[in-house]
Amino acid sequence: MVSPGLVLDLVERVGALARHGTISVPLGESDPEQASATVAAWCAHTGNQLVEVQGNVATVRKGRPLDPLGELRPDLVPGTRLWMYTNFDCNLACDYCCVRSSPQSARRALGVDRVRQLATEAVEAGVSELILTGGEPFLLPDIDEVVAACTAVLPTTLLTNGMLFRGRRLAALRRMDATRLALQISLDSATPDLHDQHRGHGSWGRAVAGIRLAQAEGFRVRVAATLPYEQNHQLGPFHTFLDSLGVAPEDQVIRALAHRGVADEGIELTLESLIPEVTVTAEGIYWHPVAADHDDQFVTENIFPLRDAIEEVRRRFTELRANATAAAQWFPCA
Amino acid sequence: MSQPLLVGAVAYTPNVVSIWEGMRDYFAETPTEMDFVLFSNYGRQVDALLDGIIDLAWNTNLAWVRTVAQTDGDCRALAMRDTDTVFKTVFVTRAGSNLDGLEALRGRRLALGSKDSAQAAILPVHFLDHSGPGADVVELIRTDSDLGKHGDTGRSELDALRAVLDERADAAAIGINTWEAIGRAELMPGAFEACWESPTYSHCNFTVLPRVPQERTEPWVERLLAMDWDNPEHRPILEMEGLRQWVQPNLDGYGTLFDAVREQGIPPRW
Repeated sequence: MVSPGLVLDLVERVGALARHGTISVPLGESDPEQASATVAAWCAHTGNQLVEVQGNVATVRKGRPLDPLGELRPDLVPGTRLWMYTNFDCNLACDYCCVRSSPQSARRALGVDRVRQLATEAVEAGVSELILTGGEPFLLPDIDEVVAACTAVLPTTLLTNGMLFRGRRLAALRRMDATRLALQISLDSATPDLHDQHRGHGSWGRAVAGIRLAQAEGFRVRVAATLPYEQNHQLGPFHTFLDSLGVAPEDQVIRALAHRGVADEGIELTLESLIPEVTVTAEGIYWHPVAADHDDQFVTENIFPLRDAIEEVRRRFTELRANATAAAQWFPCA
Repeated sequence: MSQPLLVGAVAYTPNVVSIWEGMRDYFAETPTEMDFVLFSNYGRQVDALLDGIIDLAWNTNLAWVRTVAQTDGDCRALAMRDTDTVFKTVFVTRAGSNLDGLEALRGRRLALGSKDSAQAAILPVHFLDHSGPGADVVELIRTDSDLGKHGDTGRSELDALRAVLDERADAAAIGINTWEAIGRAELMPGAFEACWESPTYSHCNFTVLPRVPQERTEPWVERLLAMDWDNPEHRPILEMEGLRQWVQPNLDGYGTLFDAVREQGIPPRW
């Protein structure tokens, strides 16, 4: 038997809360299971949210559950874009690489079969864009097949350092569908110094050559720079240089250096501070591509079904944001 | 553009801030913008309406009756919630008490809410007098909590229900909103049952004095009535305020309370 006073307490105490405020209500001497069921039924009846029952105390939030997904810009909703790490090995060993890629890294390739299945399931799951990254994807001998599996179903972007467009790799590039594929080439500065300092001597010149070649082959080219946060306001010369290369302003992407991987410094990116971008590696699903080599942002080893993986990321994001909002409301400063 | 219409409301819970911020946002960037002022009690709010400090008052039924009394009827009701047109008082007893109807309360103890609550004090007495055995043959147990808020907090009604649970009273008179909030008799089987429900009457409305011209209020009311339950941006406001649709006022629904106030000698202002 549940004490009727429990419901009266709920009405009074939850009624006195501000919207989305939270309160803990003792369940009293009632049978805990029955009392929990009563609180849940009352919450459902009155449009409030039972957050949890721990021990003999129920925590109730006023109003309907928060909808962090609904508050996001549509293009930022997790699962709108799908990132795939095609491999982790790289011809460069950049000193800030967020996933510790280098020539010594194990390949850890997703493989064309899994990429094809992912691309197919991505369409069914409502994904609108595919993004392939590494490592350096052009190290894969079948990169053109991997890309074709993606461009066959969705607009695709391929991240590369642009340095390997020769011989069979150039031939592979030419087999890619330039109407469905954009190339995102990394370049950190308008002159070789800064870029080469982080990425290796001579890498700037080859990247710029790669940009020009890709443009000549008819590809849309985005250029992405990775810069320390404090340098992000000194970009005038860099944009001027990219303009001179014919890179459209909307394709000039500046990313802040993240304190991840082998980077000694950079902005701290955590589950709480990142809006997730569903990311697939050979090991499983990660929260965000910037941490696809870090256990703290590992979501699940179950890549398939992809819809379930996306749903799990959304569920965790919703829970994190709702709890953060509730926590903020527990500690008003004035 | 004219100044925003200034709406007064009583802050009976912190949630009121969210409600009126939502309302203000709904009217923002329209030709009928509004802002709000919160009062600690309906007496102050009605004073502010009469003094021209606010343009509109979101009034309880008792505040409306008092505004009519103090203006000799020279005021208008602009709109109300759909739920305000079908408000009721419910007389609640312990389940299995076999008390059925108002007549069964003769010689019994009835817990009332705050004396300035129309639904939980003033009208219950009126109903006992006109539809039951008379209030003079029922032992009235009054719980005057949150005075000045006209029963909006619901606290006095919950205290009245607790009196029934604690066997300090045989029945409690509460508003239909509180009866709904506790899940009627369904959420707590074996706890409470309704022994009598009153006819419907009107509850809150937006009250305005002639000083504010109709050309200012009419577009505002038009936009208010356009608030749509199926619109996800509007719905949270409607849910918080406890309605599905704003409607034109039903003034006939105040007749019972005018009679009750007159018969019980309730002064025009508290």
